[in-house]
Amino acid sequence: MMRTLRIIRRVFIETFLGLKASGWSNWLVVSILAVALTIFGGVLQMTMSLKNLVNAWGSQIEMSAYLKDSYDPKKVANEISQLPEVRQVEIVPKDVAWRDMQHTFKIAVINNPLPNTLHVKLADPEQVELLATKLKLLPSVETVRSPLKIAKKITEVRHFLEIAGFFITAVLTTATLTVIGNTINLVIKARHREIEILSLMGVGHFYIKCPFVFQGAAYGAIAALLATLVLLGIHLYVDPYVKDQILSLVPFMPQNLEFSLLQTAGLMCALGVAVGAGGSLWTSGRFIKL
Amino acid sequence: MIRLQNVNKNYGGRPALVNINLHIALGEFAFLVGPSGAGKSTLMRLLYREETPTNGNVFIGGVNLNRLHAGQIPLLRRRLGIIFQDFKLLPSQTVFNNVAYVLRALGVDEKEVAKRVNSALAVVNLEHKFDAYPTELSGGEQQRVGIARAIVNGPPVLLADEPTGNLDPATSLEIVQLLERISQRGTTVLISTHDQPIVNAMRRRVIALKNGELVADVDNGIYELEMS
Repeated sequence: MMRTLRIIRRVFIETFLGLKASGWSNWLVVSILAVALTIFGGVLQMTMSLKNLVNAWGSQIEMSAYLKDSYDPKKVANEISQLPEVRQVEIVPKDVAWRDMQHTFKIAVINNPLPNTLHVKLADPEQVELLATKLKLLPSVETVRSPLKIAKKITEVRHFLEIAGFFITAVLTTATLTVIGNTINLVIKARHREIEILSLMGVGHFYIKCPFVFQGAAYGAIAALLATLVLLGIHLYVDPYVKDQILSLVPFMPQNLEFSLLQTAGLMCALGVAVGAGGSLWTSGRFIKL
Repeated sequence: MIRLQNVNKNYGGRPALVNINLHIALGEFAFLVGPSGAGKSTLMRLLYREETPTNGNVFIGGVNLNRLHAGQIPLLRRRLGIIFQDFKLLPSQTVFNNVAYVLRALGVDEKEVAKRVNSALAVVNLEHKFDAYPTELSGGEQQRVGIARAIVNGPPVLLADEPTGNLDPATSLEIVQLLERISQRGTTVLISTHDQPIVNAMRRRVIALKNGELVADVDNGIYELEMS
């Protein structure tokens, strides 16, 4: 146990020595990684905010189901609310609808021609077509009116945001992996003598490779911290101004759209450490021949 | 302690070692001689499992090196002390730290490290230079640091690959005599060399290779006789 702890301590010392030996190139790698992670974090926040916006709009989509007169609207509403695609059902009784209409349009006193109506809100706007089909099949439902076109547009935008976010993440990850790989390769070349001695003297592969992996992980963690500070600055000083501008242009914009900075920081840190450690592991596996 | 059974090694079809059979007992002291390209370095690399034979078996202390998987190679090397022609010292570390480097990597505690390093430095007569840097030492002293590092873990086998290649004749003899003293304490020592005067001066077992073949294996041998 004590021996293992001493080895782990030495691994950290070797990591520190590796960082020290890398000199100015540490800052080059951390800067590039920090820029990549800031872009990643910014894109993530933007796409998540847009996605939240789209979802908020999507959640406001509702379908109208017009009922046959012979059915009790409460029973039908209860039946429909059991469907998994349904988030909320609101009953508009024919009397209420007729009174409102008369009030709005000053219609002459005739028999109420309106049906009982159910306003159905969806759990997911992508399911509008499926739910419309299900509702049409109910014997109690006369007709269904659904905003198919809007729902499709919202779904398309959502998919586009997902793909764009994935693509940008993939490009940034590849770029940072390359930068980290090259740096660690330089460190390995600079320390080849120590590696050779350790290997020939019977030091385990874990001890030899681990400092490089930790070094990469340290790059990722420091870069994530810097990127978080940049995003925090944007969040505190730029966001409120931009939000005011957007709200003045689009007053019906739903509120509380921000994707939490803490979540973003967590994701950036996880990605930074994973890319740093992964890139180093890959490079040390490729260039350290034991 | 060291045994090779029908060992062949080819590089791209070109034979580097041809049907080598060899046995070196525990505590024995032997020279592996031959001209450049004879296969000495290849044989040494087989012994510390830097290479594997094309066919045949290599044993160290009864362990068949062919059967070792990658994770077991470090365990084998801890039982070997390896000495190099170019010393392979870390210029940024003191003599003490060069010798202690591997012990620390193996998780040995500092008290024990100090004890073993001082003892190894005493064997090579360099206790007084413990805080010097390699660049402040002569070639012979650097090689003695290399020997101290090789013996610090108490290995039963010492492999020295051209240990006198970078040294003047007087220092070379000193180094080989030092290795002989270490052997007298029960360590098997195999020295690969083409340093004829040294081999002839020592009159110990001489294993001679030529074009990858074992052409002589003589106790109390000399270089010229075995190579002719």
